[in-house]
Amino acid sequence: MPEVTANPATRPRTSAPVRPAKRAPDWVEPLLYLTPSLLILTVFVFYPLVRTLYLSTFLTNPLGVPKLFVGVEHFVNALTSDQFLHSLWVSTQFVLYTVPVGILLALSLALLSIKPLRGIKIFQLIFSSPLCISVATGASIFLMMYNPLSGVLNYFLSLVGVPKVSWLTDPKVALWAVGFVSIWMRLGFNYVLMLSGLQNVPQELYEAAVVDGANSWHKTRHITLPMLSPTIFFAAVVGVIHAFQIFGEIHIMTGGGPSDATNVVVFQVYQMAFQNWEFGAASAQALILFAVILVLTYFQFKVGERQVHYQ
Amino acid sequence: MQRFRKGPAAIALALLLMLTILAGCGGSGSKAKPAKKFELQAGEKVKVTFWHAMGGKNGEAVQSLVDQFNKSQDKVQVEASYQGSYDEALQKLKASGPNGPTLIQVYEIGSRFMIDSGLITPMQGFIDADTFNTKSFEQNILSYYTFDGQLYSMPFNTSTPIMYYNKTAFKEAGLDPEKPPKTFEEFADYAKKLTKKNGNDTRYGASIAWYGWFFEQLLAVQGVHYVDNDNGRKAKATKAIIDSKEGQKITDWLKGMVDAGSAANLGRKTSETQAAFQAGRIAMTFDSTAVVSTMLSGVNGKFEVGTAFLPRPADAKGGVIIGGASLWITNLKPEKEQWAAWEFVKWLGSPEIQGKWHTLTGYFPIRAEAYDQEIVKEYHKTRPQYKTAIEQLRASKINPATQGAVIGVFPQARQVVEAAMENVVLGKATSADALKAAAAEITTSIENYNKTTK
Amino acid sequence: MSQATAAGQSTPIGRHMGTIVTYVGLVVTAFLMLFPLIWAIIVSLMKPGEVNQFPPPLWPTDPQWQNYAEVARSVPVFRYLFNSVAVSAIVTGGQIVTASLAGYAFSFFKFRAKGILFALFMSTMMVPWEVTMIPNFLTIRSLRLTSTYPGLVLPFLATAFGTFLLRQFFLTIPRDLEDAARIDGCGRFRFLVSIVLPLARPGLITLGAYTFLSTWNQYLWPLLVTDTKEMRTVQIGIRFLMNEEGQQFHLIMAAVVIFMIPAALLLLWGQKYLVRGLMAGAVKG
Repeated sequence: MPEVTANPATRPRTSAPVRPAKRAPDWVEPLLYLTPSLLILTVFVFYPLVRTLYLSTFLTNPLGVPKLFVGVEHFVNALTSDQFLHSLWVSTQFVLYTVPVGILLALSLALLSIKPLRGIKIFQLIFSSPLCISVATGASIFLMMYNPLSGVLNYFLSLVGVPKVSWLTDPKVALWAVGFVSIWMRLGFNYVLMLSGLQNVPQELYEAAVVDGANSWHKTRHITLPMLSPTIFFAAVVGVIHAFQIFGEIHIMTGGGPSDATNVVVFQVYQMAFQNWEFGAASAQALILFAVILVLTYFQFKVGERQVHYQ
Repeated sequence: MQRFRKGPAAIALALLLMLTILAGCGGSGSKAKPAKKFELQAGEKVKVTFWHAMGGKNGEAVQSLVDQFNKSQDKVQVEASYQGSYDEALQKLKASGPNGPTLIQVYEIGSRFMIDSGLITPMQGFIDADTFNTKSFEQNILSYYTFDGQLYSMPFNTSTPIMYYNKTAFKEAGLDPEKPPKTFEEFADYAKKLTKKNGNDTRYGASIAWYGWFFEQLLAVQGVHYVDNDNGRKAKATKAIIDSKEGQKITDWLKGMVDAGSAANLGRKTSETQAAFQAGRIAMTFDSTAVVSTMLSGVNGKFEVGTAFLPRPADAKGGVIIGGASLWITNLKPEKEQWAAWEFVKWLGSPEIQGKWHTLTGYFPIRAEAYDQEIVKEYHKTRPQYKTAIEQLRASKINPATQGAVIGVFPQARQVVEAAMENVVLGKATSADALKAAAAEITTSIENYNKTTK
Repeated sequence: MSQATAAGQSTPIGRHMGTIVTYVGLVVTAFLMLFPLIWAIIVSLMKPGEVNQFPPPLWPTDPQWQNYAEVARSVPVFRYLFNSVAVSAIVTGGQIVTASLAGYAFSFFKFRAKGILFALFMSTMMVPWEVTMIPNFLTIRSLRLTSTYPGLVLPFLATAFGTFLLRQFFLTIPRDLEDAARIDGCGRFRFLVSIVLPLARPGLITLGAYTFLSTWNQYLWPLLVTDTKEMRTVQIGIRFLMNEEGQQFHLIMAAVVIFMIPAALLLLWGQKYLVRGLMAGAVKG
């Protein structure tokens, strides 16, 4: 760390000195710092956005080359298509199911393992272990366990006399089954978040509350939760974004089925684009999803910000 | 905006153009044919990239053939690469644009797309320029891949689906193991008799995957077409006609067995029904003849495996369609490499290799002489399961129904049909409604396809 | 499930009960959480087809350790691992560089376009991947970068999220440090490298860990962009393994376990950093 020494030999530099006329405008230097990011973002975010918009107005040939201008036909089709609207609904259900449940479970685990009991560190490690599980590893393990005839889950059920469940082939069950896998895989991350959030709650608050005669329920409700709300908010925002993007689990376990029960929007767009090779229709659907996420995030911030308690 | 729009597409086109100029007169589109044979020099080891969709045991068989070929000569070096399922391999081809392989294995239903794609050099060109004699090839197999008198691709692995059944389970249930069910009704009846509960577990009489291929075959077995214009063979198809009463019979039959509890719903993948059959959890199933080897080794003597023709409705008069895949030489590489691929294709079609391939997998040989190979004769004597598909094909008369439909969007159509099958079995729609909706969806795809591929 | 047994039971017996209940809860929950992993290890030691039996054997009576050798022989597991590590590392390094530079620009510079440019950056966070994936795929393809490391990596080298995160960290660095450094003749860039970055280390580690993990987990992009076996990442490798081997779960699970080991080791090593880092900057209002 450099020391502040008023060395007369060094001419002190101030932020607004008198300089010769050839000085570069003040946006040049920051722009240089911004250039690498701007370049990548332009090529891989802004340009594609425009190109997707362009593609969405065309009918493409089987190789994906735009051939026939159709204007807003794809948008109209998508908004009136049962399959697309259903996929939006599937995604919504998925988010509403996995995000709150995931955070609640993680919070419970964190509360369970925050006490300085002997060996608690081992449990903390175990609870963060899903961090080592990646999309394909988790999905393949559960695909095996969910097998209706020979999967170990149905075996355990049969031991207690419950009939077999068609985890991935029954449309009523499939989304919950896949969602559970997603929750489990995310649990490590959510747990670590919750744990560190809990650890950041100042002990004095609890001690003061005890003096005031608060019991554990009061403490949880009036200290823990409010202090944790920024963390929960963060987990929720990140969780919702993540849940809207899930793809790998679906691709490996159900392929969007059975009967489109797990056909989340990302999968729907992927199928349109890379299985049916209908780039135009897929682009339109992706843009509709974009609009939905924008609206959702706006509401999330509007509602969330009010609930979050900041220091 | 102008610049953005033209950018990558222009680069792709430019590359293609460059390649075709470099390639001389070899293949800049489906219509161009090689004028004369390109002689390869010894020791050149011209590289051929070969994309295929053979996994598991069959994948190992492919690799062993590739290794054998590479070792046997030094003019051509083949590099085989497994690209996933047939669907995925075709998608990869579409996705790779100018970066595609020299040779690719594409399933039979991808044929119309391949021809319209502008990515291939028709096989006929090589056949003519090399004065290659195809007389001893099985004509009904060749005819599947022949359009307007031209052979576009070389058949490599040909199959039809057959019924696999557990002879030991038949005996236990009091059924004659040498008399497998022949009709839909018999099959459903046998399935009921073969379903057995013991404690917590159920051994199901049957399970059939919701595989579009099976639906196509069962249509052909009833003598009806999938699309109009003689199944797309007389002229380009314009609409799907799968919602016929014959189509409904198929889905109703499947649903009936699931509802009766005699067939298990294991989803769309045959890998699931295969595993269940090998573990003795189901007693009957449909699958390709291509997995005869896999089935026999998976069962490993636990019980006796029987194979039979596909069952059909009692009054049906039709035959099966050949399935499997063929090899396509793309026009993405220079002429020399295309001719190198042709050498490999020729070698794969030889009676000796076809015989070996047959015994390694269960696919049947495309050449009559293959049956004279010692190994084939021996296999047929000791493992009659290998013969069933061949006999089933020979018993099928050639007509547009058994020639199979030709549609540019066949892969998508298959997915739509599978979804319809699922919907019916799960009780979400009646056969009539589900198939009508499916037909409408497929027809729309066909119309879009025709609009964009003039 | 929520056992918020706070230290507050008044009687000794009450306290002991509370502790016992907590321990029981901990053990049961831990077992449930670990079960899939334990089962994967058990299956990886089974004989072919054994997992399809009913009832499935719950303990490998005849552990087939050679499954690991077999899967390592027939599948390039180490190549897949290497690819995933390489791609994740490159993306992580790239993002740290570009986000540091951009975050620095947004936190330490004053210029008129700052507000607009920052909003532009943040807006990219709103654009979902599905909207850009088709053109990005076409771009990579036309640059002939399919099945290459650049192809796998390029679209992810910049990040609005990372820029935002680091900007938050940088903003907490007191202005006087900057003035002092300026007086000392320290240029803008040197200031960034020798003072700001070291101070913002928790932020860098957070971004690094998060990015590495997300890239490791990428599935759709590698699926689209990889054609050859040699370039597959772990996720796509497992997918293809399931295609190739169908129901040979004993082999697939062996591969899964092999892939989990480096992640588990990393977790053991980095757990405490992760806990500290995630909270330190991520929640700053």
